[in-house]
Amino acid sequence: MPDPAKLELLTRTADDEGFHLVEIDSNYVYWSFKPQRLPQTEWELTAQPFGADGARNYVLKSLRQERYLLLDSKEFFLWECFDGRHSLEEIARAFHISNGAFDYSLIRQLLTKLYGCGLIETNNITDLQPSLAGAQPYLWTRHLTSGLRTLRRISFKIPDADRLCSIIYRRGGFLLFHPIAFWLSVTIAVVAFVLAVRLAPHAGNFASHLKAQPFLITGAMLVTLLLVSMLHVLFHALACKAYGRRVREMGFFLLQGVLPTWYADVTDIFMASRRARIMVDLAGPMVEVVLGSFAIVGAHGASAGFGQALLFGIGVMLWESALINLYPFNFLEMDGYNILADLLAVPMLRQQALALIPNLAQRLRSVKTVERAEWLQLGYLALCLVSVLLYVIAHLDAVGSLLHFSQ
Amino acid sequence: MVPEFLKDVSLFQDLDQLALAQLATLLVSKKISAGAVIFRESDDSDALYVVETGQIIISKHVQGEVDIVLTRFHRGDFFGEMGLFDAAPRSATAHAETDSILWRLDRKAFRQILSDYPEMAARICYRLVIVFIERMRATNEQAREAIRWGLEATGYSPKADRPLFGRKST
Repeated sequence: MPDPAKLELLTRTADDEGFHLVEIDSNYVYWSFKPQRLPQTEWELTAQPFGADGARNYVLKSLRQERYLLLDSKEFFLWECFDGRHSLEEIARAFHISNGAFDYSLIRQLLTKLYGCGLIETNNITDLQPSLAGAQPYLWTRHLTSGLRTLRRISFKIPDADRLCSIIYRRGGFLLFHPIAFWLSVTIAVVAFVLAVRLAPHAGNFASHLKAQPFLITGAMLVTLLLVSMLHVLFHALACKAYGRRVREMGFFLLQGVLPTWYADVTDIFMASRRARIMVDLAGPMVEVVLGSFAIVGAHGASAGFGQALLFGIGVMLWESALINLYPFNFLEMDGYNILADLLAVPMLRQQALALIPNLAQRLRSVKTVERAEWLQLGYLALCLVSVLLYVIAHLDAVGSLLHFSQ
Repeated sequence: MVPEFLKDVSLFQDLDQLALAQLATLLVSKKISAGAVIFRESDDSDALYVVETGQIIISKHVQGEVDIVLTRFHRGDFFGEMGLFDAAPRSATAHAETDSILWRLDRKAFRQILSDYPEMAARICYRLVIVFIERMRATNEQAREAIRWGLEATGYSPKADRPLFGRKST
């Protein structure tokens, strides 16, 4: 880290002929700096429930930039102190007295996040722009960067998604979130499950019908998955509207940078209750459950043949898709993971667990000092690992079939 | 007779002994006590100063009774060169930090060099351009440092487009 910047000032007084020189270190001024959060009309803060790790988080929303920050209890303390009347030195001292020693870099990190969201008053520093001084000099790095940028361009956003969702919700979408709709969905799912059990002995026949038309069935499945996943995301967004919160974005992107998928940014639901978040999480997979159920009921009513097999296949595929979506331990932030994180009130469980991996061996060597939060993270990691391994093993035969088919 | 220190002045380094002797007749020596002001920001500018001994501080007014120190000049350096070319007010204040001896070349004398000794004038102007460039670079560096100071003092550290917190339901 470079030395702190210094300014040399020359001061003089009216009745004094000479002058005095003073060197002011930026660090010195930093500790006298009195950060001031924006007025309360510019932000919204919601306390989250106490987490399974015993900690409490807060979600801070910048209304101007519509960006969100997750604050832990230490950061919340600092945020409360950023009233423009207390210097960082006073704030740090107050924190020290009330909570004991803490990592002072936390203040810088929090300030960085707050500046990023525009939640701290700034005095016209808008002329700053991203630096090109460290631009990649090599051709291959430039190609790599441009390739990644192209990949990112695959993503797109639906313009004015919140307005669109509001219109759909007002014009009938609200009916989908009526308790009657929920109980109807449960009923159809139960009926479909019973019918699926009855149809199960014919699974061999269905499979032979489907194998006879491999390209047609693959195309039908892909189109169904594409349409249903769009509906799935729309239901998340509508559920968010049902709780009166904003849908920040909707669109298409690469999940974890690889998996192409539709998405709805429902971060605003963190400003509502935990129940609301879980309902938003469940709304998406309910689409697969209900549509899968209709497909199974249709298969039961259809006459034997390719159509019946196709409906049964689609039904089973949608149910499996709902199950995968609801299963929390797969290293991905799918609906099941979100429900788990909401139930435990640990919204960054996955990120924290992944961050634990580099120090895992070291932490496990001193088991007695492992904290409750870390046990949760370890549990999550272990279950993810086991689940993924089991999933791969269970689908090895499918991989074998694919290889055989390609030969 | 050529004052010995003139040979150490970067502005005159391309001049031969004869040219230095001719130049010396146009320079006027001046003793300055520590703390004294040589010229103030906004004063009329009409001369360039060469430092023979001592240390000069150049500062620019910021607010109230406070200036920011821009630079220091020592033996062999020169300052106030803008005054040779335009009649605009001084852009900064020059103080003597220690007792100093300066040599003054006023605009009238400089014009005489331009008309009577064109070769000498060309050599001096060439050096002036080199020094202007150096000072411009130094000014850029100073602006960067001042901005860095401001950012550090307020803890400002923009991380553009860094993901903060969010939930994308898929």
